Amino acid sequence: MTAPAPPAPPSYRSTVAGEARDGFGRLLLAEWTKLRTVPRWTLTLLAAVVLMVAVAMLSASDSGSSGPEEKRSPTAQLQIIDLGHYTYLPLAGDGSVVARVTSQDGGGAWAKAGLMIRGSAERGAPYAALAVTPGHGVRMLTGYRRDGAGGGTATAPQWLRLTRAGAAVTGYASADGRAWRRVGSVRVDGLRGRALAGMFVAAPDEVEVRRVFGGEIISGKPGDTTATFDNVAVSPPAPDAAWLDRGGPGGPAADPALDGSTRSGGTFTLKGTGDIGPDEFAPDVTKATLAGAMIGQAAIVALAVLFMTAEYRRGTLRTTFAASPRRGRVLAAKAVVVGLASLAAGLVAAFASVLLARPLLESGGIAPPPVSDPAVLRAVVGTAALLAVLAVFALAVAVIVRRSAVAIAAVLLVLLVPEITATGLPVAAARWVERVTPAAGFAIQQTVTRYDAAIGPWAGLGVLCAYTAAALAAAAWLLRRRDA
Amino acid sequence: MTGGTGPALQAGRAVRAEWTKLRTLPSTAWLLLALAAVTVAVGAAVTGAVDTSHCVTPAGCREDTPKLALSGVRLGQVAAVVLGVVAVGGEYATGTISVTLAAVPRRWAVLAAKAAVVAGAVAVAGTAGVLGSLAAGRGILSGNGFTAANGYPPLSPLDGPTARAAAGTVLYLVLVALLALGAGTALRDQAGAVTAVLGALWLVPLVAGMVGDDAWRDRLDKYAPMSAGLAVQATRELDRLPIGPWAGLGVLAAYAAAALLAGAAVLAARDA
Repeated sequence: MTAPAPPAPPSYRSTVAGEARDGFGRLLLAEWTKLRTVPRWTLTLLAAVVLMVAVAMLSASDSGSSGPEEKRSPTAQLQIIDLGHYTYLPLAGDGSVVARVTSQDGGGAWAKAGLMIRGSAERGAPYAALAVTPGHGVRMLTGYRRDGAGGGTATAPQWLRLTRAGAAVTGYASADGRAWRRVGSVRVDGLRGRALAGMFVAAPDEVEVRRVFGGEIISGKPGDTTATFDNVAVSPPAPDAAWLDRGGPGGPAADPALDGSTRSGGTFTLKGTGDIGPDEFAPDVTKATLAGAMIGQAAIVALAVLFMTAEYRRGTLRTTFAASPRRGRVLAAKAVVVGLASLAAGLVAAFASVLLARPLLESGGIAPPPVSDPAVLRAVVGTAALLAVLAVFALAVAVIVRRSAVAIAAVLLVLLVPEITATGLPVAAARWVERVTPAAGFAIQQTVTRYDAAIGPWAGLGVLCAYTAAALAAAAWLLRRRDA
Repeated sequence: MTGGTGPALQAGRAVRAEWTKLRTLPSTAWLLLALAAVTVAVGAAVTGAVDTSHCVTPAGCREDTPKLALSGVRLGQVAAVVLGVVAVGGEYATGTISVTLAAVPRRWAVLAAKAAVVAGAVAVAGTAGVLGSLAAGRGILSGNGFTAANGYPPLSPLDGPTARAAAGTVLYLVLVALLALGAGTALRDQAGAVTAVLGALWLVPLVAGMVGDDAWRDRLDKYAPMSAGLAVQATRELDRLPIGPWAGLGVLAAYAAAALLAGAAVLAARDA
């Protein structure tokens, strides 16, 4: 091709061969052309996008009609819980608070008893806390996150010390009050000037499962815990300041036997209900908005399967392999093309879903988190990645099965198993199914950690990727062994 | 073609030809086996996962044990769908439909013969799956606390409501296969037909779950093919159902009839 042809007898060899074989880039271009030029397939991609956005609009427009009259509290909007009991003194600037937790009773493995420095007594205020727990050691907690630095097996009695320098708060723990070890240090944004320092107790909700009529009703029952503290000292001591309390929100539900503080000499006893942390029952607005991926995946799966089986059916695969005999590379090119096309469709659909659902949600009194929020961004981009991996998975299954009807049915079956069997299945079993099937990939859409989360976002996508890698390996092996 | 002495004989021959085609495809046996096996295995797994530990009292659970034991059809039906689609889609994919229509020029007769053999095959495999599920459930349930003393008599296909649930489930599978056959004939494309039928069965109930509006959710529960058709499995708390057992199966039958009619119309109107 490159050298000027000598006026010798013309070669009988095809001039196409050298060109077609010379690289992965050309293979990609060939596969992309195949995908692009079948109108039905581009329409299928478009259908996936339209389905996803339509479901997002549907779920967003209905959520408003359920109760626009009730004003959601600030903590509910932040999807956090700020309860428990807090007994505190003012802390004018830098300083520290120290105490010994002598005993802790009730509330489960994540019951917390310890020290807290926070900006104000208002619910949702920034804080840093150091707490001893019955089952998770000593933990440095902040930002209403579930867990924090620390761990181990230490339990009460335990000495705790929290030191503030500006916005940085460092926690230390000690078994005897002499040898201190550093648990962790956090920067509390919004902690400036006057703050509060003191002791707190908190306990997460107990999840109650009740089975009736072939389904399960799940509710949270506030856990309650009691702890005693002594050797309490806040330094520098504020002149003529008295200990103040912040208990539960009060009202008729307040129970003095479960919430309050008593002091005798240097010993404080704190009782409290409820947690300080994420709201495990908070609705995942972003996940609900992106749930259309469950519907749109059907189109993506059909497309990816057809991208392979159409070549088997029409026999064009023989031409494809004649042009490019290295079959593994053909499979790789197909996977890249169908994966990238699904990724692009997924990005469009996910961003459109979140952006278009926002005004509908807001008119219904729900403030969805902004797209710039890291968890939301992960869910949105993750949905596109999820569809891309799903497409490659479906392509690999199509190579293995070679029949479009069977391949589509099989892939949709394994992806929808948790949804189809969930009705009637106990929550624990349903979560297990969600963890071990390829449908675990949908976990990437989570933006809040709920009580029913089966698997973490990245771990879930990892499960799907592992299945896809295994299917792809099997497909490559079979493709090489079998006649086309 | 002039063979045959009467319409009945011709119809009988068409059915026999279709039966030979269906019987001699290896995939048919595998699909029917999968239908029964998946139904029994998933039903047993779901039944095994449920016990009375989260009930207020064992009797207070009000568990619909026949429905629980038969829940495997939610997944097992996928084989009936594939069988229905492939029965006609396979002929379009390979081009044998022209030969079939040359042998039996009355096109509606071809579709009717296909419907008869697919329905018969699915009914046999479905009966095996349903009886197997009930037998598995009978063995598992008593071990999980659903005993006669707690108000859950052992499952028996001779018991009135259980018999209705069992027979209704077999009919459900047959209707699903016919729906798929109709969709496959109308669309001619196997991939499109399988996606459409499975979407209607599995995805519409999911959309119902995403809809917040109660009236719309109620409508979707009433008229979605799977949720309506499987109402026939309920044996207790019938007043809580969105649609009655036989009425629900009737909804599914209407969908299947509509799909078959559409298939017949397309078959008659279009070139093969």
